[in-house]
Amino acid sequence: MARRSTESLASRLSPFQKFYLIIVAGFVLGPFIPLIIQSLAFRWAWPDMLPGTWWLEQRGKSMMPLAWDYVLSPYSRIWEATLNTVGIGLAVTVICLAISLPAARVLARERFRGKSAFEFFLSMPLIVPEAAIGIALLMMFIRLDLAGSYFGIIIAHLIPTIPYMVRMLTAVYQGLGRDFEEQAIILGASRWQVLRLVTLPMLLPGVVAGALFTFLVSTNIFLLTFFLGQGKIITLPTLLFSKIAGGTLDASAAGITLIVTLPGIILLIISERFIKEEAFGKGFGN
Amino acid sequence: MTQVQLRSISKRFGGFTAIENIDLDIRSGELVALLGPSGCGKTTTLRMIAGLENPTTGEIHFDDRDVSDLRVQDRNVGMVFQRYALFPHMTVEKNIAFGLSVRGTPRSEISDRLDEIIDVVQLGPFRQRFPAQLSGGQMQRVAIARTLITKPSVLMMDEPLANLDTKLRGEMRRFIRTLQQRLGITTIFVTHDQVEAMELADRIAVIFNGHLAQFGPPEDLYRQPVSVDVADFMGASNIFPGTMTGTDAVKTGFGTLSVVAQPGMADGSRVHAMLRNEGIDIHPANVEGGDDMVAGRIAARDFFGATVNYVVECGAERIIVNEQSRRLLDVGMEVRLDIPAERVWLMAG
Ligand SMILES: Nc1ncnc2c1ncn2[C@@H]1O[C@H](COP(=O)(O)OP(=O)(O)OP(=O)(O)O)[C@@H](O)[C@H]1O
Ligand SMILES: [Mg+2]
Repeated sequence: MARRSTESLASRLSPFQKFYLIIVAGFVLGPFIPLIIQSLAFRWAWPDMLPGTWWLEQRGKSMMPLAWDYVLSPYSRIWEATLNTVGIGLAVTVICLAISLPAARVLARERFRGKSAFEFFLSMPLIVPEAAIGIALLMMFIRLDLAGSYFGIIIAHLIPTIPYMVRMLTAVYQGLGRDFEEQAIILGASRWQVLRLVTLPMLLPGVVAGALFTFLVSTNIFLLTFFLGQGKIITLPTLLFSKIAGGTLDASAAGITLIVTLPGIILLIISERFIKEEAFGKGFGN
Repeated sequence: MTQVQLRSISKRFGGFTAIENIDLDIRSGELVALLGPSGCGKTTTLRMIAGLENPTTGEIHFDDRDVSDLRVQDRNVGMVFQRYALFPHMTVEKNIAFGLSVRGTPRSEISDRLDEIIDVVQLGPFRQRFPAQLSGGQMQRVAIARTLITKPSVLMMDEPLANLDTKLRGEMRRFIRTLQQRLGITTIFVTHDQVEAMELADRIAVIFNGHLAQFGPPEDLYRQPVSVDVADFMGASNIFPGTMTGTDAVKTGFGTLSVVAQPGMADGSRVHAMLRNEGIDIHPANVEGGDDMVAGRIAARDFFGATVNYVVECGAERIIVNEQSRRLLDVGMEVRLDIPAERVWLMAG
């Protein structure tokens, strides 16, 4: 259903609209082209259009692993960083959902004293600079012996993600109304069944969007991870930073950069599919 | 078969009183309509019976059991919401089976009862559809089936017909009435349409502003409303202020009517007299009559086919008379109205 309408939309575009689409796509995808070339290069000096020497030409001659060989080797620590990033991202997403769902429900449905003040404070982490939050947390966590631990990093990641998630889910809850849950209870469902069989499926598009967003934010957080990881825990963003901190982007840094974008791209594709087929494909949402 | 009793139920939301001291005694197997204008507390009453809302004071009994502390899930009630609340992500079948599957009913039993109820509500061809692919009447039947499949001891419906067009509404009324009689299930339904209430209900509870104004069979509410408000809400058109002269006559703007003495209506008290417009006989002025005749002139005529309405000017008042259209009288004609004492109903105030 959704797919058919996309197709018919594409065929209805005027030449100008097509041109415009190509320009936008160019802006989004453009930066990836030099990155990909760079990741395959051995030497690429300005103002050459293409690398003077390719990685594959040098592959047999060097003692050290080069470019992709290096990126995919244990020396780069890329696997460790990827695992950390994905693991932390998943944990943050799940915990963030568990905290935000009940909070959003109350914010959407109840009136209580100090509600607007609460909503204001909820946005504070988005206003206060990340560096300030990072330093403050670091000082606290050193004392609590949480610095350099997964637990500490996960807590730090929850700070900027919860406000977004709560806001997003509050809007979704407002659209849901209480009839469905009350109806389920009257029909004999337990609280847990109501959540699992009625609330979550109906909130699904919002939850998927919120979870996706949280995961992407978490996998991209550099500063907080850098402060609180204390070099003991590396993630893709901190690994990337250590490779490009010198101010140059060599083949292995380019390769790492490309890998850093992978979780997001994969997740986007999965969730696009999921939302379309599971929820909207069944005539949901009207 | 369950008897439902509300005993001095009140409900306050903060400082606002939504329900004030309501007593209601609903017999088992009875179909009761809660009738009243918007915001009078009908939904709130249903929600308290279902357990979705706790009364501020008072008790609710099912048979002889106080259910005030019983969870919603344990009250075994059914409720059809005004907007049906069908789960949009489930098929018709899944929606209807919901109440059984959450209780862990064995699959084979679910499928048997599903077949049975789907047959009753005639939804066979729509089993695999999603709610968004159904018409209003079909959605309504799904909502009713979903509630009935759990065999509730009390069935509640919040304005079940409000979202349907006129023709469908009539059909669904008959459907609900037949179903209710067949299952003998105690049923409470909310409406703000007095015709619907009279057609469907064994007894009607009229609620104004959180107060129970009157509770009784449709005929009583129609013929003997306790107040002008109730009379008005039940669709009465001929209500005239007057003063009692003795206990068996009332002086009105168009003359003195003889009435049947009613308790509490003493000589000299101010009252309202209600004349049912189908209870008045109209005659051309030359016809001789008894003491109950009131003289007037036809000011307007509304022809409805089988029946006809005359607006008759009598002194300072206008009386509406409804009769069968076997003959037609002309506008401007001098007439006499025969208003027998037993067709006049007095209300205080
Ligand atoms: N949760 C609540 N908080 C505050 N006031 C409420 C709440 N629920 C209902 N009310 C108020 O109580 C009164 C009765 O509401 P209720 O929904 O029972 O009316 P109703 O008779 O069902 O009206 P309608 O015919 O419009 O559905 C209304 O004035 C309403 O504003
Ligand atoms: Mg209501």
